[in-house]
Amino acid sequence: MVEKDSNQVQFSIRSLMDVVRARRRGLEIALTMGFPHAEATKVAVVISELGRNIERYVGEGTITLTTHVGADKHIEIVVEDHGPGIADVDRVLAGGYSTSKGLGLGISGSRRLMDEFEIQSVVGEGTTIKAIKWLR
Amino acid sequence: MEIMETTTIIQKLESLLLVSVPRDLTDNDVLQLRRQVLRDIRRHNSRWVLLDFSLVDICDSFFGRFIHTTAQMAELMGAEVIISGLQDAVVETMVELGMTLPNIHAVLDLDDALALSRESQQASQAAGGQDPGEPLNPALAELGQADGESVDGDANSTFADLTKE
Repeated sequence: MVEKDSNQVQFSIRSLMDVVRARRRGLEIALTMGFPHAEATKVAVVISELGRNIERYVGEGTITLTTHVGADKHIEIVVEDHGPGIADVDRVLAGGYSTSKGLGLGISGSRRLMDEFEIQSVVGEGTTIKAIKWLR
Repeated sequence: MEIMETTTIIQKLESLLLVSVPRDLTDNDVLQLRRQVLRDIRRHNSRWVLLDFSLVDICDSFFGRFIHTTAQMAELMGAEVIISGLQDAVVETMVELGMTLPNIHAVLDLDDALALSRESQQASQAAGGQDPGEPLNPALAELGQADGESVDGDANSTFADLTKE
C-alpha cells in the first residue's frame, strides 16, 4: 500500500475574483493540514499578494498549491506567468520598488511571511515564484 | 460551494458611523465601500467612523492601503477612523508583512469605540466646543469631565498670568 503524501490544486488567475477564490481555498487547505491560524493566514495573504501581481502586471497566470503531508509537512505555493518578467529581482525582494500605487510590500512582504522564497524571472519570458511554509 | 460575503452594513450610533467590513472584497467592492462611507459621514454628520474587521480573516496590503486612505479621506471631512475587531492571526500577518497604519485609533470592540467618541465629545464640550471634531486624549477628557467649565477658565488665567510676567 502506497499512501499518497502530496496533493495539488491549481488556480488560473485572470481576475481579482480568481485571487479571492484562490486565497480562501489556500486558507482552508492550510488549516486542514494543521497549520496554526496565523500561519494559515500568512499563506492566504501570500497567495493574495502574488495573485494580485499577476492580475495587475501580467493579466494571466497560475497559482499551484502543493501540500506535502508525509515526513516533512509543508505547503508550497508556485506562482507562474508568461509576462514581461522582472528586470531587477534583488530590488524587488528588498522592497525598494514602488512602481504601482502599492506600498511596495507585495513581494518583499510575502518573502517575510514564508520560510523559503525563490524568484526565477527572465525579462520577456515570465516569472516563476516558489514559496514554502513548513509545518513544525 | 463558495460563499462570497460582500454585503456591507453601515449604521449610525451617536456620533459614530459603524461599518461592518465584509470578509471577501474585490478591489472594486473596496472602492465602493469607501465611497459609501464618505457619503454617509456627510449624511449623518459623523465625527467618528468605526471600521469593524471582525469578519475579515485575510488582510493583504491592498486592504491595508484601503484602511489608510479611508482614514485620510475621512479626516478631510472632519471625521476620524477607528478600527476594531482585528483578529490576532490577521494582526500578526499585517505586521510581519510590513504594514503600518499611522494615525489610526484601534480599539478592542464597540464598547471601547463608543467610550472613545463620548470622551472626545465631552472634552470638546468642556473646552467650549471650539474644536468639536478633534478627539482629545483620555486624560484631557477626564479632566474636562471632573471640573466642567472651570477647567477652561483656569487654563486661560494661568496662561494670562504667564504672559504678564
